[in-house]
Amino acid sequence: MSAPSSSPRPSLKDEVRQALSAPSAPAGTTRAMTSDLSIDEELNLHSIGWEPVELVSGVSLHSIPYGYWNWGQGEIVGASSAHATAFANATARMLREAGTAGGHGVVGVHIERAIHPTHVEISLVGTAVRPVDSTRRLERSVFASDLSARDFTMLMIAGWEPLGLASGASFVFAPRRSMSSTIQQQSQNIELTNFTEAMYSAREAAMQRMQEVAIEMNGTGVVDVKVQEGPMSFASHAVGFVALGTVVRLATPTHQLIHPTMVVSLNDSSPAFDAQTLS
Amino acid sequence: MSDAPSDLPEAAQRRFSQGAFSSGLSVSDFGACLEMGLEPVGLVQGFCAMRWGAVSMNAMGGGFGGGLGSALGGALTPFAGAPGGYVQNYQCPHGMISADHRAWGQNYQQTWIEDTWRTGFNSAYSRMMQEAQALGAHGVVGVVDSENPLSDTGVVEFHLRGTAVRVIDGPPPGETPWSTFLAGQRLAKSFEAGYAPVSIVTSVASVRVWAYCQTEYLMEGTSGMWSNAVGAAEIMQVVDAQSKVRDLARARVRSSLHGDALHGAHLEVSTREFGKGDVEFQSRLSGNRVRRFKDFDPLALPRPTVRLS
Repeated sequence: MSAPSSSPRPSLKDEVRQALSAPSAPAGTTRAMTSDLSIDEELNLHSIGWEPVELVSGVSLHSIPYGYWNWGQGEIVGASSAHATAFANATARMLREAGTAGGHGVVGVHIERAIHPTHVEISLVGTAVRPVDSTRRLERSVFASDLSARDFTMLMIAGWEPLGLASGASFVFAPRRSMSSTIQQQSQNIELTNFTEAMYSAREAAMQRMQEVAIEMNGTGVVDVKVQEGPMSFASHAVGFVALGTVVRLATPTHQLIHPTMVVSLNDSSPAFDAQTLS
Repeated sequence: MSDAPSDLPEAAQRRFSQGAFSSGLSVSDFGACLEMGLEPVGLVQGFCAMRWGAVSMNAMGGGFGGGLGSALGGALTPFAGAPGGYVQNYQCPHGMISADHRAWGQNYQQTWIEDTWRTGFNSAYSRMMQEAQALGAHGVVGVVDSENPLSDTGVVEFHLRGTAVRVIDGPPPGETPWSTFLAGQRLAKSFEAGYAPVSIVTSVASVRVWAYCQTEYLMEGTSGMWSNAVGAAEIMQVVDAQSKVRDLARARVRSSLHGDALHGAHLEVSTREFGKGDVEFQSRLSGNRVRRFKDFDPLALPRPTVRLS
């Protein structure tokens, strides 16, 4: 991590005047770069000696043969494997772009997923990043993370590092009830165990797959796991469960305590003008 | 309207010569601008209404005599592509089966749509900047852009607006004012981080997909006799188009940076389906072109806080 300069910073007005009267960049600082990070996120990265390099993306569409969603038992394997392959291919394409651009990882990855009856579509967009100091650049594969640059900064300060994105998905049939059960249960308030069991089955398979990806990456755990579950809008007897997160591991011998400072805001909690107080 | 500042409407010139300023800044952004030594001098705007006319592919250098959509049937030869544009062909492995069978497929860049979009956006932008120049501004902050359909006849209105600012006690403004989507605190942080605004940058790319038989089978999930070899697989024609439409927008933005950086980029992709197997992908990338004006000066590590409320 680079140390901040000890000389006093000029005032903001002076900085602005200096910036707007400098027609060109100082020697050696000009490098075309694209990034979808906010200025706050970039400042966070700078504080730990990292910088954005390039906006990168990866896309994949994988087919699901017709009829997989309507009839069957157990897991809808074609849909689960289509999701896994599409996610892996989209991630690989994004990481290839990041590696080509000289990035060590991709942070703030926006993940768009769409499950259609006949195909799965995955789209990833993020910013490739790397340490500013070239001597600190690592000899390991490029990582991807959906953590924001702010969360990435906090993770690094705490002595952890991201290893990659892990995803697990499972789509399962909720078996149809028999005709007699349907008729008997029509006027009862009861649990539909076929759906409950299908959800449990999908959850276990998806979480297991995500965990397997983390273990393959030699990760200690997965942080910021997002879960999406529920029935499929186009298939009345199918449920899906998708889990996504960032695989992490300790990069230092022990966890570094952050010791946050307690602050009390002096802002008035109700700043609105209230005419009744005048009476 | 030409690019010459003298082409500003007379009413606008009269308004600009009056004393009071107008601004699109919120009160907090206004305060932050004054803190930076920037004073607002006027709310500046640019408009341009563009019509997307019917396009003859022959006029674009194409090789077939049909046009878009269903006329691209099996027996016709693929479009040669717009001059200098991306084009990729996909050949059916089955041979000529019937007139309905999609014997070939194609992805192609719709350069004429990109050119029309660029003309509309750039005209609105340059008109906004003319107003800023007329006000003697150094730059325009808090730029907001929008595109709205004006009618059902394919007319789109481009509208850009922002707040022209002058550097208090600064040197005379340069020939071209700078511009940025940022305002207020975020602009101040950008300066503190060592980046000066140069201009807003936006680009659009458009890629049309005419599916061939394999893509059709995979997208529709059909398992007929001709799709036996397909099974479940990645739909490469659409993946190619989706990847290319992003690449083209990024490449165009990168070519306009001239060594500067693009901050706060926003990439969005939209899809329009015109008919069976006839899909258009459009990507739009925008952000702030900034230039480093001082060497990298890392900040102190951020101090984590917990707010007690």
